[in-house]
Amino acid sequence: MQGFFQFPTFARCALLAAVFVFAATSASADKLTDGAKAYKPFIVERIGKAIAGAKEMQAAVKAGDLKAAQTAWIASRKGWEAMEPVTGTYFGDLDKLIDAWPDAKTGYHAIEVVLFSAKKTEGLDQPVAELLANMDKFEKRVTDKTFSFAPQKLLEGTANLAYEVGEEKSGGGESPFAATSIIDMQENVEGIEVAWKLVFADTLKKKDAKLAGIIDERISNLERLVKVPDIKSMEARKVHIAGEELAALMLQAAPTLGLKSFKVGDE
Amino acid sequence: MTARLYSGIAAAGLIALLAAGAADATPVVSKDATLPVGSELNEQVLDQPTELFAFEIAGGKRSYLFNLGDMLFSSPAIFGGKARDAGLSCNSCHQQGANNSALYIPGLSRRPGTFDTTGALFNPKADNGVFDPVTVPSLRGAKFLAPYGHDGRFASLRDFVRNVIVNEFAGPDPSGQTLDALVTYIQEISFLPNDKLTSDGHLTEKASDAARRGEALFNKPFPHNAAMSCATCHQADAAFVDRKVHDIGTGGFFKTKTLVNARFNAPYFHDGRFDTFDEVVGYFDKHYDLGLTAHERADLVAYLDAVGDAEQPFTRNTVQAEIDELTAFASVLEVAIPAHDKAVVLQAVESVGGEWREVGENFPDRRDTSVEGGLRERLKARASVRDVVLTLRQIAMAAESDDFAGAGRLYAEYRNLVVAVAPHLKAAEPWSLFNPDVHERHFAALARLAALAK
Repeated sequence: MQGFFQFPTFARCALLAAVFVFAATSASADKLTDGAKAYKPFIVERIGKAIAGAKEMQAAVKAGDLKAAQTAWIASRKGWEAMEPVTGTYFGDLDKLIDAWPDAKTGYHAIEVVLFSAKKTEGLDQPVAELLANMDKFEKRVTDKTFSFAPQKLLEGTANLAYEVGEEKSGGGESPFAATSIIDMQENVEGIEVAWKLVFADTLKKKDAKLAGIIDERISNLERLVKVPDIKSMEARKVHIAGEELAALMLQAAPTLGLKSFKVGDE
Repeated sequence: MTARLYSGIAAAGLIALLAAGAADATPVVSKDATLPVGSELNEQVLDQPTELFAFEIAGGKRSYLFNLGDMLFSSPAIFGGKARDAGLSCNSCHQQGANNSALYIPGLSRRPGTFDTTGALFNPKADNGVFDPVTVPSLRGAKFLAPYGHDGRFASLRDFVRNVIVNEFAGPDPSGQTLDALVTYIQEISFLPNDKLTSDGHLTEKASDAARRGEALFNKPFPHNAAMSCATCHQADAAFVDRKVHDIGTGGFFKTKTLVNARFNAPYFHDGRFDTFDEVVGYFDKHYDLGLTAHERADLVAYLDAVGDAEQPFTRNTVQAEIDELTAFASVLEVAIPAHDKAVVLQAVESVGGEWREVGENFPDRRDTSVEGGLRERLKARASVRDVVLTLRQIAMAAESDDFAGAGRLYAEYRNLVVAVAPHLKAAEPWSLFNPDVHERHFAALARLAALAK
């Protein structure tokens, strides 16, 4: 410590401040990392649901039961959509196969068009088996003990999803044949809420309670706006604005959380 | 999440579309969509109608009012109800100020390019219970083409525009500034140059001999009414109109249509009953008992083709063209923010942000099966668009909380960001829907999906 007091007063203050900031930042980083750990079981649970639904769909397809296969497709899809904060950023290779479109040979949408538009179960054994195989890979990867989510990527994925929820849905959205876009959106918003609350909300509340309050309020607002029976009864313009505002606020919160504000070109 | 693109494809009418080679047709397929299944807005077309403005010809510049009008013309924000939710704007029907011959909305259109302006879908209050779709007119040369509306019911373009916003599309009563801006924009939309035609409507030496013979026939008195010829109503030195309405046996009084650039204005007549000039000439031949020979009919068609031509009717859309257009749109913020004009700031953010999102959808994400390669570039382009849209949204948020100084700073940030991301967008262009090959593959993939659905 003797060496420390050889510095001029202002330099000592600066050093102390730097140490304090580092300690604080590191504490909040720990907190965020804890949050990211707490988030992992949510994804494990959701991929489990997606797989369970896909297995039911496999059985229904085998039995030639169209109605049951459609119901199972929707159940499986619900599991998948809430994971969107991480599907693209962590599992892009599998996302590409599981959620491929427009004329994919495999994945949800290849199956969707047959089940919901052609209204058939024939010829789906192989695509459903492939969907399950890819989901199994996803599950194995995420449940691996060495696998963990990083707060920086989670924030980017969550904000990106909020931005995408605001995307044009007037054409019927991502699953046009199943016409389940409103369910997709509800699950997306749940995915945003879970990621935000488990990973970021507490840390931000301590550092900027006002901004944390605004973000909480915007998430609730978005949740309310998508809690409607179908896309036609949704106030599309309000959802669009609410999604963008939420994403912009999350961007704004990044530095306060000790994270980068992930502007394009920074990566 | 590429919803607008995904909204494409339809089982209905697919065979007809493929036969017509319309690989980029994207009718609505989902029962869950705001517009009825089978609706076609023809938004993804790569070769767009060429837009030319009078001030450009005169060597002038874009005024604030013009930019505001141009931006609002592409903005769903001025409409209400379903039109707004479906993302419709003036530009949806009048693409780049021209027409949209592929526009089709079940229940409102009898055939592509027509639309019932008093149907229930967009404004139940204006529903008159009569299914009477009319064509979507090109607005080229609109300032010379009063009165407005197919039946000429509006002497003033301003009144006509207000009627479209409030009564046809259930929008809120527009401000005086909004109407002035839209009228300014529309009045600048010029006819396209045509080297087969002099400024006073005569054929030049570039026109064919058949067209010349047709010109003579066009001016020749009708056999049973020597006081009349085609040129009586279509006056060559007055943009080929007489600014009057006439009953020509099509169900009422309808105004004379211009023939300038009309090759690109099909379908023809107020209700779009004819697809070709040959059918049009055939109708007049019969209606006025002209007794034309097959050769004479062909000559008249050649004349209409010559008068209706344009040197460059279509222009390929590019990343740079989109950036230029959106930069012009967003420039209204330079005036609106310092003027604390909150309404215009919010309209600009909604309109320009929406347009940017559409640009972003041209860069397929990793899940798109119709494009290989350039994934890093495509993802970067998509992220670029996201950042641009979110910066715009921050401008609106600042303006809403009356922080116009903050909005000004964010607008400067926005401008810098657009400059910074432009190279990312251009780098991804070869793997985007701006590339005709990728465009073709993407929409062919949508068509195959629709075929699978069958």
